[in-house]
Amino acid sequence: MSWADFWIILITCGVTMLICRVAPLVLLKGRDLPDGVIRALNLIPPAAFAALVANDIVSPGMFDAGLWPAAAVICAALIVIVVALKTKSLIWCAIAGVASYAILLLI
Amino acid sequence: MKDAFLAAYPIMLGYVAIGIPCGILCDSIGLNALQVFILSALFYSGAGQFMIPNMWLTGAPMPSIIASVSLVNTRQMLYSASLAPECQGAGKLLSFFFAATVTDESYGVSIAKFKEGGWSVDRALMVNLFSQSSWALSNVVGVFVGSLIDIPLAIASFAMTSIFICLLFTQALTTPNIIAAVAAVVGVYVCKLIGLEGAAIIVGAILGVACALGASAIARKVRS
Repeated sequence: MSWADFWIILITCGVTMLICRVAPLVLLKGRDLPDGVIRALNLIPPAAFAALVANDIVSPGMFDAGLWPAAAVICAALIVIVVALKTKSLIWCAIAGVASYAILLLI
Repeated sequence: MKDAFLAAYPIMLGYVAIGIPCGILCDSIGLNALQVFILSALFYSGAGQFMIPNMWLTGAPMPSIIASVSLVNTRQMLYSASLAPECQGAGKLLSFFFAATVTDESYGVSIAKFKEGGWSVDRALMVNLFSQSSWALSNVVGVFVGSLIDIPLAIASFAMTSIFICLLFTQALTTPNIIAAVAAVVGVYVCKLIGLEGAAIIVGAILGVACALGASAIARKVRS
């Protein structure tokens, strides 16, 4: 990739990214938000985390390569859920997730 | 500072695990260490910095790379909106730099800390900057080590998935939250089914919020 191509991608993607990151906060900050909007904002964390998890582990073609690679991901995810409920610790979840997924893939 | 570091280090370690492979990938399309550092500092997007070289390698035209990367990043708007009430008392410049350096992971950590209470925007900004430093350095290391080391990306990126699972399952177990989460998963699946992979996260999340709001409204009507 040349420097010219690099700058085009950096500036365009950087600007759209900056707008997405900053504009909603600037527009909503300092306003008295109606209850309905507050309720909607409070629902973003569970909805967004569920969407991120689903995006990583669920897809229509996930069982195309057979039951096991997909089932290994699901088993590892279940282990992480148990660790999350027990410890509420991000780092233990990350360690348990990577370790159990690696071991399950080796089996 | 110490609080911020303690909140950030799980993200920082995760970013080492995926930042090095990201740097290796960027090196493979001829980006040098300086370019990778600038990209990490000014653009700062894990998903985006994997997509750019991957699409470049398939020979995708520039406008389609830009459109796809920008579409994937629209989900950041939800985090930004969700963090607005927490920035109510903070200064404009502080809020700007905080908002400009939010990622999926640092949003998760910050919103959890804000809901716990006793958290502030300057500490949340420090979490972002710690995470970003880790991301940028790991990417540069990736460029230098090149293909000397081989990190299995599927396994390394499961660290991020695990962090999202932890954030999801430490949410309050209320009916609206459960409806939001289940509808979001369905939304992501349907998006992928109809070929809208790039928009899956934001569409799924918005569907989740809408379904939970709808269900609460119906419940209130039934009760009254």
